[in-house]
Amino acid sequence: MERAAPRLVRAQPLLRMADVSKRYGDVVALEHVSAEVYPGEVLGIVGESGSGKSTLLRMMNLEELPDEGRYSLDLPGVPEHLFAMDGYARRMLRARHIGIVYQNPHLGLLMKNSSSGNVAERLLVAGERRFSVLREKAKQSLEASEFPLERMDAPPIELSGGMQQRVQLAKAIALEPAVLLLDEPTTGLDVSVQALVLDTLKRLQRERRITMVIVSHDLGVIRTMADRVMVMRRGRVVEAGLVDQVFQDPQAAYTQALVHAKL
Amino acid sequence: MAYVATRGGERAIEQAERLYRAQMGEVTPARVAEIERALPSLIDRVMGEASLYAPDLAALALAQSGGDLYEALLLLRAWRSTQPRLQIAAPVTQDRMLTHRRISAAFKDIPGGQILGPTLDYSHRLLATEVVQGETFTPVPVEKAANPAPACHPSLAAWQQAQGLVAAPSLAPVDRDSIPDLTKEPLLFPAKRAHTLQSLARADTGGVLALGYSAMRGYGNAHPTVNELRLSEAEVIVRHPNGTEFSAGRVKTSQAEVVTTKGQGTLRLGFCATLGWNEVKTIAGATLDLNAPGAPKGSPVNEEFFLYHTEPVESSGFCIHFKLPHYVTFQSSLDALRDAKAQRNKTEEPA
Amino acid sequence: MSLDTLTRPWKAFSYGFLDASAKREMRRKILKAIAVPGCQMPYASREVPIARGWGTGGLQATLTLVNPGSVVKVIDQGADDSVNAASIRRFIARVSGAATTLDTVQATIIQSRHRVPEEKLRADQVLVLQVPNPEPLRPVEPNMSVARQMHADADYGRMWLQLYEQIVRSGRVMQGASYPSLVNGRHVMTPSPIPRWDVPKLNMAKHLTILSAGREKRLFAVPPFTRVEPLVFDDVPYRVEDHAGLTCHRSGARGVFMNEIPQEDGTSLHEVSDSQLGVKLLNGEAPGEMWYRDGVFRP
Repeated sequence: MERAAPRLVRAQPLLRMADVSKRYGDVVALEHVSAEVYPGEVLGIVGESGSGKSTLLRMMNLEELPDEGRYSLDLPGVPEHLFAMDGYARRMLRARHIGIVYQNPHLGLLMKNSSSGNVAERLLVAGERRFSVLREKAKQSLEASEFPLERMDAPPIELSGGMQQRVQLAKAIALEPAVLLLDEPTTGLDVSVQALVLDTLKRLQRERRITMVIVSHDLGVIRTMADRVMVMRRGRVVEAGLVDQVFQDPQAAYTQALVHAKL
Repeated sequence: MAYVATRGGERAIEQAERLYRAQMGEVTPARVAEIERALPSLIDRVMGEASLYAPDLAALALAQSGGDLYEALLLLRAWRSTQPRLQIAAPVTQDRMLTHRRISAAFKDIPGGQILGPTLDYSHRLLATEVVQGETFTPVPVEKAANPAPACHPSLAAWQQAQGLVAAPSLAPVDRDSIPDLTKEPLLFPAKRAHTLQSLARADTGGVLALGYSAMRGYGNAHPTVNELRLSEAEVIVRHPNGTEFSAGRVKTSQAEVVTTKGQGTLRLGFCATLGWNEVKTIAGATLDLNAPGAPKGSPVNEEFFLYHTEPVESSGFCIHFKLPHYVTFQSSLDALRDAKAQRNKTEEPA
Repeated sequence: MSLDTLTRPWKAFSYGFLDASAKREMRRKILKAIAVPGCQMPYASREVPIARGWGTGGLQATLTLVNPGSVVKVIDQGADDSVNAASIRRFIARVSGAATTLDTVQATIIQSRHRVPEEKLRADQVLVLQVPNPEPLRPVEPNMSVARQMHADADYGRMWLQLYEQIVRSGRVMQGASYPSLVNGRHVMTPSPIPRWDVPKLNMAKHLTILSAGREKRLFAVPPFTRVEPLVFDDVPYRVEDHAGLTCHRSGARGVFMNEIPQEDGTSLHEVSDSQLGVKLLNGEAPGEMWYRDGVFRP
């Protein structure tokens, strides 16, 4: 598989999370985690289950709030402190500017509606009121996700796991989001299907320069997709840097163990 | 005129009601008194669901509706809804109630003892067919206990709290006049605790049983153990305008508290109480209450789900409303259906 | 001075059946509903002497509004003589002493299940619609708490999605009665299961419409001169039932909503659904001003 060449990054990060902490009772989920994502780049977050990587992603999606910390997206007309917004503003911001693909398609899709309808819903929320335009845009989005158009009106519940992820992807990119969040998007798929979905993601990234954050426990996925990587463990960032650098010359003992176990 | 000839609605409904009432004959004070005397369990059930403690009115409603429980209930609820709320009685605590029956399945014996009281639990359910043969079924008189049980008993949960087995409820002192009243306010979710308990207290016995049973069979996550089941009489303490408090009488109440050992460190309790003695309803209701916290929306143990669907007047009313004509809505859907079919036929025709 | 002189004689219930506290709550909730058009206001909803689901919501609104000078008309599916309409009309008259009528033009309060009369309503008339299910979001979200949040956010994407799905599956919008409509540009409401034919009658109307669901304990309103817009895509127009060309086999009338009467030979006859209008036409009386002329809606 072809690796994406590291891209030039601009000085101003698009997404910035600073000093985020979260506890559930006695359990520390995140401790002073900071992350920055520059426009057009792919940030990978890797770690075992319980490392806090999915919690961090849910916060980027404004589904969850931290105990402390700041979050901003460098977009016109968007407030500086996103965690301080009320629930309505958070939901609206999420609907307009953030796309997400969940590991579990049940979280991201209305399983009994049509696949095209799942994509159209995003456009409806954004105010599109022309049926023909909804239809056309849903088609384009599904096509870009390499979804077979003859099945565009089949409900996700009748589709394979790989196809369901493509519907989620089509839905996520329908409004050209500022940032696309991917939570273990290929986990649970057959290896061959996994490779095909990753290919689609890479092509989309290359063609549209979509800013992405991808969470995975699978180093291979991160290596294929990401420009930079954050290694997390027990709610902390143990190491961060360019993918090649971190994987070829890991500094932290935990990263070393992770990389060697995988090789 | 043909059109007018069909306009017989008023007369038809009147005659239909007469036909129904003709089955029952006269409703006399003697009949009402006999119902009240002979059917205390039924009276209790109806009073609980009506949330109106008035045995004579409950008996009247049963007589007037020919024993249709939902009709009797509606009569009582509609009567109740027009009555002013004069006062709110003082809260009663378990250890102050005159207790007839109080059992726990959680321990072999409990402080204060297991008091069996009146129950058919251990009777052999043999139909007394001799009555059909013309004989009288006479119950054997009760024998006096050598040591009469005390009138009042402590609550088992109080002992468990002292032992640190259950978390003490965080009871903020509430002014009795500001207790939320479900009959005067809408039920909204998440429900106020008072509304939840009031709603369960007036819920349909059969409905609570059905949903509670589903939880017991495994659609809930917590298996109930009856911590304490109590049938008692509670004093209704009200305030005279001159300030003195006095008892206006006693009402029969049932309460069930169920417990689960699932939890972090302490036991968790579910509770249900109602007017009148109705053990099945309170145990099933307490099981729903026990399972409600954190239940997914749409599950039978989700509070919104079981409180809405066990409201007897609403559920029975909606069920029978399907007898009403719906031909306008039907016509409206038919129009869309026919048009869709015509379009389909058109596109299927060869060009 | 004695208790007798200070009090009124005992009566089984108050004027208009509902007690003063119930009426006060209803008045407050009606005012709130008028203030925020189309927004569902929860209310306690007292039990009344007819079964839940049989018009108890409409009845509570009517009993609150009625006075001895009122003239009340009650219809069910367009018919005054429908058994339940007859029962409710008799009850209202019994507890309020108000006059009753079958004539839309004469009425001051019209309580209706599933129809808006064909004769235009005036500013001095109130239409009370009985509502079985007040929540337009119910088909996409059965949980009421979640649905409330969606209304608060004006989050109607899934409502629109439902229409999208119908067109994709059946080639047209399949919603029959209860057509979801945006009120005053803010809240989506169900107009109650009136046919699509009747929804335009609520838009910018001179009369006040109160919609009340007794079993579900929700009340909402369309004040006079308020926009009521059926949810439609810009490129898929709203369509009322295709009744404009049907002819009433009794009166010969055309251009109004019809009941279909299946015949033994497999065909259908039609009759005017608004029964009292049908009687007027049969008797050769001139009807009041109509919403539809020649089967076309004329605001």
